Amino acid sequence: MKIIIAGAGEVGFHLAKLLSYESQEITLIDTDKESLTYADTHLDIKVIRGDATSIAILREGKVGLCDLLIAVTASETTNITICVLAKQLGAKRTIARISNTEFIANKEEVGFTRFGIDELISPEALAASEIELSLRQSSFSDTYEFEEGALTMAGLTLSKEASFVGKNVKDAAKIFPEIHFIPIAIQRQGTQYTLIPRGDTIFKEGDNVVFITSEGGAEELCRLTGKKNTEIKNVMILGGTEIGFKAARDLCKKGFNIKLLEGDKERAFDIADQLPNVLVIKSDGRKVDVLDEESIGDMDAFIAVGDNSETNIMSCLVAKSKGVKKSIALVENMDYFELSHSIGIDTLINKKLLAANSIFRYIRKGEVVAMTKLSNMNAELLEFEVMSTSAICNKLIKNVDFPRSAIIGGVIRGNVGYIALGDFKIQEGDKVVVCSLLRSIKGVEKLFL
Amino acid sequence: MRLNYKIIFHFLGLLTLFNGGFMLLSTLVSYLYEDGVTGTLSLASLLTLVLGGVVMLFTRKHNKEMNKREGYIVVAFGWVIMALTGTLPYVVTGSIPSFTNAFFETMSGYTTTGASILNDIEAMPKGILFWRSLTHWIGGMGIIVLAIAILPLLGIGGMQMFAAEAPGPSADKLHPRITDTAKRLWLIYFGYTAAETLLLSVAGMSFFDAINHALCTVSTGGFSTKNASVAYWNGQPLIQYIIILFMFLAGTNFVLSYFAFKGKVQKVIHDEEFKLYFKFIAIFTAIAALLIYFRADVSVSSIEHPMVWGEGESAIRHALFQVLAIVTTTGFVTADYTLWTPFLVVFFFGLMFLGGSAGSTSGGVKVVRHLLLIKNGFLEFKRALHPSAILPVRYNMKAISGDIVFNILGFFILYMLSFIIGALVFSMFQLDFESSIGLAASSLGNVGPALGDFGPVNNYAALPPLAQWWASFLMLIGRLELFTVLVLFTPFFWRNR
Repeated sequence: MKIIIAGAGEVGFHLAKLLSYESQEITLIDTDKESLTYADTHLDIKVIRGDATSIAILREGKVGLCDLLIAVTASETTNITICVLAKQLGAKRTIARISNTEFIANKEEVGFTRFGIDELISPEALAASEIELSLRQSSFSDTYEFEEGALTMAGLTLSKEASFVGKNVKDAAKIFPEIHFIPIAIQRQGTQYTLIPRGDTIFKEGDNVVFITSEGGAEELCRLTGKKNTEIKNVMILGGTEIGFKAARDLCKKGFNIKLLEGDKERAFDIADQLPNVLVIKSDGRKVDVLDEESIGDMDAFIAVGDNSETNIMSCLVAKSKGVKKSIALVENMDYFELSHSIGIDTLINKKLLAANSIFRYIRKGEVVAMTKLSNMNAELLEFEVMSTSAICNKLIKNVDFPRSAIIGGVIRGNVGYIALGDFKIQEGDKVVVCSLLRSIKGVEKLFL
Repeated sequence: MRLNYKIIFHFLGLLTLFNGGFMLLSTLVSYLYEDGVTGTLSLASLLTLVLGGVVMLFTRKHNKEMNKREGYIVVAFGWVIMALTGTLPYVVTGSIPSFTNAFFETMSGYTTTGASILNDIEAMPKGILFWRSLTHWIGGMGIIVLAIAILPLLGIGGMQMFAAEAPGPSADKLHPRITDTAKRLWLIYFGYTAAETLLLSVAGMSFFDAINHALCTVSTGGFSTKNASVAYWNGQPLIQYIIILFMFLAGTNFVLSYFAFKGKVQKVIHDEEFKLYFKFIAIFTAIAALLIYFRADVSVSSIEHPMVWGEGESAIRHALFQVLAIVTTTGFVTADYTLWTPFLVVFFFGLMFLGGSAGSTSGGVKVVRHLLLIKNGFLEFKRALHPSAILPVRYNMKAISGDIVFNILGFFILYMLSFIIGALVFSMFQLDFESSIGLAASSLGNVGPALGDFGPVNNYAALPPLAQWWASFLMLIGRLELFTVLVLFTPFFWRNR
């Protein structure tokens, strides 16, 4: 597949990285020399320096032959222009990154496809919905649902009291015969790489483990790991940014009590105007007195989505120290992202990463039904539909030559989710959830073709 | 500071000319009813027309530039000029020989107060009575433009937010769309008048009485052609119910009436001020009706109360009528509320401060201001608990900026202050406590009937001449939402910009 990415910012770079692992033919266009040089030396891609709204530059990138054009520059209008131009010049599909979510809400009405944009991606909207998702199951640092909850992916950090710390995966399974979950990825505390667990992998204290559970398994997991799934009611949001506003609006509709902190008086007034049920406080979150005044200790969750990553992290730490159970911070800097758990914040959100993943998922839409990146890990969670021609069809799992760095997490048959072990037979029409490191995605894909 | 005097005088001349035109209409009525003052009345209108024409002629070459200061002056002096020239029919025909009395009567007319110094109304020539009702009607017309188009531009008392079509408080120059808006609202105003005239005639009033009462109801004025006011028809409940309906409509924002006619009923039903206005009337009527039925001795009143549809209906009807007459500041009388119970006296006195809706012809503080002040009061408690929180007052789902709330607070305080000073000045004329506070509240709110010696069954003839001037002044400032007139008394209005 030939792909052109316009914009070598963090979204563009991350996307290029994800796609280059799959040996796609990628051309990256940007005006900034430094970021292009960095991408050129780190990734196996072709780069063109120039303005992507220029027809000459697009022609140079062979837009007429490309299967997909992704416009992810910082400017929404530029992205739209690039997509419209590229489509006219022969690009097969186009994706534009936008910030105005009105466009997404009225996508059909305005008819974006008619003038050449196939998909709209808004990092802010993605971040807001990510916040909502992670609040719904508060004791887990990361959750994702497949097929409306038939299977749930849940990530959590093992505490000292967790009953299977020090045991290997096989023994842990023996202690709990009514098992309805399977670990699919582990990240050891303080390390930067991700493990795909095997039968003899031993759980350690502080491990960040991702499980797949069938319906109802999430509560069981809580019991086993000694963590209570605390109900979240009172939420404090720091920052009346686009994301903060959307999160407040959506959470408010779901019945949460929201307090929103915003430093700019006029912006605060506007938010108070538009969200009557949200208590808007004029504060930039750096004064602990104000946080105390608004009884931060009584909050169940603290969400820091201000413009400044450092303030977000620091205020989350303040919230933690005041006894807030769940903290979520928006972080722009990818380097901080890696450190997430060692600083003690439950969930870090990076909207660019979300956007990149979302676009990547869109590209894979043909074969993969659903897909998500495990946060803080270099692994992807994929969902495949088994066809009669698939290599894996009608085989027991233990007999399949599965890549070492990938694992089957579960199978959805009909609308019921099963945790599939070695002697489970895959049938046509099953939906299979697979966890795979980036480098094995292609190998896994082949099994399902 | 350079004021554009020419355009000010041009407008004042236009208003005078306009007034003269209406006087011609009274002359026509006088001619039709052969009341014997046709000649003198036509002289009065001729004088007014010539005066207006001459002023306009001399100022015809004027700079069209007009800003806020000129706006204030035209509005305030416009009302005064109208009242001054409006005395001519009374004085020239000799119906009201004293100029002070005549000025009071016209000011009471133009401000839609409805307080009268006439002892025997029924003895007046028909042309004069018609002119008296017309002053109400013209005043009501002026108030509609004022409330909907001009006051929002001048940013007075938080009015900028009530007008549906005001271009916003920042505009310095008067907007050309004012004419459009005003025309549409006048059409409704005219329609209401015509409809009420028709209904009252059908219900059994003479045509002359019907048209006069219609003119005085839609303008929430309160002049009547009968000495006993609407109590004259106490034996015909239907007539009183028709007046009740139109008092209610006249006390509603005319913009809402416009929406209703355009079929946007949802907008009317969901209007917060309208809802509160409706609730106020319902609750107050219920309280008054229960007290009248169970506690009041109706027979002590000098007004006759034939209970044609039973005692219960009579209690409800008079409660509803009097509550509406005071709340909408119309001031018609069907019963003497000062004789019901002591509680009801204080109760009706309190109602004088309520007022109808903003953008209606009623006076007083207005429901919307009370609404926002109450809301703001409640929010103060919440603000005490959350000192850094942004807690805006909401009106019709929209957050109101703090400036407007301040504006309204300022208006309310100024209103109360004017009331206290007003009452103090009245007491200097040897008027007793009850009469003084009643007169001040009634004049400032453009209600009409007051308390004590100036209650619903009395008139203002006993008021000393100087007190009449003071009452006229209070009526004027109350009518023009205080700021418009009082700003002219501030030094910075006249200082260089």
